[in-house]
Amino acid sequence: MSERTFSVIGKRIPATDGPPKVTGTALYADDLRLPGMLYGKILRSPHPHARILRIDTSKAERLPGVMGVVTGKDAPARYGILPIGHDETAFCLDKVRYVGDEIAAVCAISEQIAEEALDLIEVEYEVLPAFLTPEEAMACEDPNLWIHADRKRNIEKEYHHHFGDVERGFREAIESGGAVRFDRFFQPRVTHAPMEPHACVAHWEHDGRVTLWTSTQTPHYVHRTLAEVLGIPMSSIRVIKPFVGGGFGGKSETFTHEIAACLLSKRTGRPVKFTFTREEVFYAHRGRPEQYMELKTGVTKDGRITAVEAKVIQDGGAYCSYGVVTILYAGALLAAIYDIPNIKYDGYRVLTNKPACGPMRGHGTVGIRFAFESQLDMLAEEIGMDPAELRLKNCLRPNTFTVNSLRVTSYGYDECLRRVIEASDWKNKRGKLPFGRGVGIGGSHYVSGAANSIIRSKMPHSNVSIKIDYDGGVTVYTGAAEIGQGTETIHAQIVAEELGVALDRVRVIAADTAITPVDLGSYSSRVTFMAGNAAREAARDIKRQLFRVAAELLGESPDRLVARDEKIFPQDEPQRAISYQEALMAAIEQGGTLIGKGAYTPPPEAQGGNFRGAGVGPGVAYSYSAQVAEVTVDPETGQFTVDKIWVAHDCGRAINVLNVEGQVEGSVWMGLGQAVAEEQIFEKGLTMNPGLLEYKTASAVDSPPIETIIVETIDPEGPFGAKEAGEGSLAATIPAVANAIYDAVGVRIRDLPITPEKILKALAEKRRRDKDANGHGEKPTA
Amino acid sequence: MIPARFDYFAPSTLDEALSLLSQHLDDAKILAGGHSLIPAMKLRLAQPAMLISLGRIKSLSYIREEDGQIRIGAMTTHYEIESSARLREICPLLPECAASIGDVQVRNKGTIGGSLAHADPAADWPAAIIALGAELVATSTNGERTIHADDFFIDMFTTALEPNEILREIRVPLPTGTSQAYLKAAQPASGFAIVGVAVNLTRNADGSCQMIGVGITGVGPKAYRASAVEDALRGKMLDEQTIKDAAAHACDGVDANSDLYASAEYRRHLARVCTRRAIEAALRANRG
Repeated sequence: MSERTFSVIGKRIPATDGPPKVTGTALYADDLRLPGMLYGKILRSPHPHARILRIDTSKAERLPGVMGVVTGKDAPARYGILPIGHDETAFCLDKVRYVGDEIAAVCAISEQIAEEALDLIEVEYEVLPAFLTPEEAMACEDPNLWIHADRKRNIEKEYHHHFGDVERGFREAIESGGAVRFDRFFQPRVTHAPMEPHACVAHWEHDGRVTLWTSTQTPHYVHRTLAEVLGIPMSSIRVIKPFVGGGFGGKSETFTHEIAACLLSKRTGRPVKFTFTREEVFYAHRGRPEQYMELKTGVTKDGRITAVEAKVIQDGGAYCSYGVVTILYAGALLAAIYDIPNIKYDGYRVLTNKPACGPMRGHGTVGIRFAFESQLDMLAEEIGMDPAELRLKNCLRPNTFTVNSLRVTSYGYDECLRRVIEASDWKNKRGKLPFGRGVGIGGSHYVSGAANSIIRSKMPHSNVSIKIDYDGGVTVYTGAAEIGQGTETIHAQIVAEELGVALDRVRVIAADTAITPVDLGSYSSRVTFMAGNAAREAARDIKRQLFRVAAELLGESPDRLVARDEKIFPQDEPQRAISYQEALMAAIEQGGTLIGKGAYTPPPEAQGGNFRGAGVGPGVAYSYSAQVAEVTVDPETGQFTVDKIWVAHDCGRAINVLNVEGQVEGSVWMGLGQAVAEEQIFEKGLTMNPGLLEYKTASAVDSPPIETIIVETIDPEGPFGAKEAGEGSLAATIPAVANAIYDAVGVRIRDLPITPEKILKALAEKRRRDKDANGHGEKPTA
Repeated sequence: MIPARFDYFAPSTLDEALSLLSQHLDDAKILAGGHSLIPAMKLRLAQPAMLISLGRIKSLSYIREEDGQIRIGAMTTHYEIESSARLREICPLLPECAASIGDVQVRNKGTIGGSLAHADPAADWPAAIIALGAELVATSTNGERTIHADDFFIDMFTTALEPNEILREIRVPLPTGTSQAYLKAAQPASGFAIVGVAVNLTRNADGSCQMIGVGITGVGPKAYRASAVEDALRGKMLDEQTIKDAAAHACDGVDANSDLYASAEYRRHLARVCTRRAIEAALRANRG
């Protein structure tokens, strides 16, 4: 693509949907109030694993004010986000599988009455042994006890991949005088904690059609699942996404309350609303799984990675959700950041009696990146190399296929590394700061949209249409869900740039399945790349129509025309311009309202190799991030502060600089939360910290200064060269902090979160070991 | 997340409140800011049949000096204490402690009396009140009595207040110096104290410790006076080693809590370190 200046691309554009949010006028699902609306509540299981012997809802139904009760028998169809994971029903039919599993729903004229009615539902259980760790779950040989009867020894899925020859790689490392390390790491279960809890309103109208307003990232998938479960055609269902107060992956599939609202509205003829409590958000979960990781990596003496062998066991909770994707991402994406010739991966997704895990920002890559980037530092120490240098030595090249057939197009990880090394003054800090202070480095990456869709279909992944009428306003229809990440603004910028019109002419109508064309949704960081390409295509379609008419007016060939700053003119002859409005009027006089459309389908060569599980991991492009963290550790208490983060993110091209910075900083915060505090804790299957007074997430007030550097590699296929910016920077924060703590006080924490107590214990052990070593300078490998 | 049904009264005088309370001893709770009680009610951990709000009793909100004491009305908000220029001058521990509570919203609505009467084992005020040797004035339809801070906290969420009593006032002996400090290791999500140590001390002309009060919160089931620390310092020159040795007694005789955020062992360790540092900070804070 030839470099040129842009009018609205590459600028700092405040979010077009920002004003209603900051003034409080934006309507979120819970703000919606329809005449006659009823309030729904869900009865949840108190047991982690039990057979349901009897449900009696008669007392609840008789409570004055209660208008309807539904249970499993009202919607027995099995569903799930993945075609291979249809293991959910709207309500439990025969068994409950975690504390919080849904048994029944009530709607009433008030929330209070609905809540009271829940207490009147009688459920008789036969309590079963609960599997609370993958180890327990996989050890069970009794099919009668398996969480799902068709999942042997509670293993949802296992994958065994071997590319190249890792043994040969390890031998090569040793023979060169390099190092091979085997280490174990742990990532706890963490959850998205979006500010807005899940909420929806359903209205089943007399014509047999139902409208659902719901806080979701994936209106299309909700649309499909509702049709399956409600047993009515998709054309009778309309899913509307109102303003959404954050998702981070936690609203990427269909949830019970969405089905229950439809069922109860059908039954009562009145609109029904559900809004989760914060506690229920922890039960809905679909966050990151507990992950047990064993990692063996070899490097040569001169710092070349020769082989990686990884074993990952994920405690996926009680249902599949996106779990198969999570376990595959953890392995496949090992290959897409460093040049690794030999990779062996054994991944196990295990069912347990805890809330189901699913996709969460940085899906599948975060735990393994913590492990890998920590181990890289240990290996660097063993071969006596600066860890930043070791990373630089193992970069991929642009336009390559990895050992596991991932197609990498643009690649800016090396530049990201160089930029943070320079900005942080790494060379004068690492290993050189006083005891208690340190710097650490980490890297990460993420798909810029998955090249294969979850639904097995050849349909385009994104579709965008544009309408322009007499008023000259440009209305963009997209199914992509704005969930706070800024996609509405991105759509508007792309269309404005392509059409050469002012940004404020553009209005984006997003995610109303009756109006907007299909988009797969806001997950896997796909919207800017895929919907952005579709939007650009749609704008080009409109432009062709305008240029045809403008060419007649100008006596020129259409392919010589350009549109810019509300004018259309022949290339290099701006003085001959006619106005956008003039061309538009002429076009409408000829053929009426202008309608344009565009679609995006990933290219086949991006879709991955030909082996079991090859479909997950391929992205249409990859973003890259490198980070340096500086910390101060109080060796007496273990308390520490992250004093500064330098982050460089390769987003291809920053369509909106302000938005990219916001996304990258948000990723860093979320990474920090996971590095230092977040952990959903269970006791006998019960979540012990289901609230934000107990579960700490990092927010703006906890933020250290963050220096954000944008690296632009101009991807050959991204819209204007853009790739993702919303997820790729999360994972690097965690190992950067862990490595900085090691640099500060010489202890390595291998199980997240890194807490003061763990640091203090590790320091005590290190002191003991150093003493035992009798001053012989044993290396700290805590 | 919806409280059980309850009746609500908001009398405009303390007498009316006391009379209402005396008629509903078993089922009434006093509402004094509501930042602990309302969440507990929403979770149905507390289900009082009646709430008596003190919010309209303006006469319970004040900070004044009288008879060699600082007198603080029970309904004085954390923020009013935090922002009092006079307190910063004469008893900086109080504003320092107030500033460490919750967040801005909590400090704007929450009250010192409400917090003390609630007696959360991880609340900040109890440590300060004990370190300062305060007296708490309890009042009922039968009259008034004062309770020393040391005797006020009985157990987790339990105080010496009788069911018919309302905490009316907090009386702090006017400190003779500003060698005071409050140091907290906070639970990251809630801001409550994993360990909170309040220190109030005065020195003799030769620099030795004349008087010292050390109140500790968060460690055990209730806030307590670290008597062994005080005893080890009173009359002594306050050098580094003496302070360190004294602080080692911060948890003597205390059964330390263990929870999701800190083990008992770590809490005890933190208490010792925080006690030493709080004493050092108090010495630095002296404006003599």
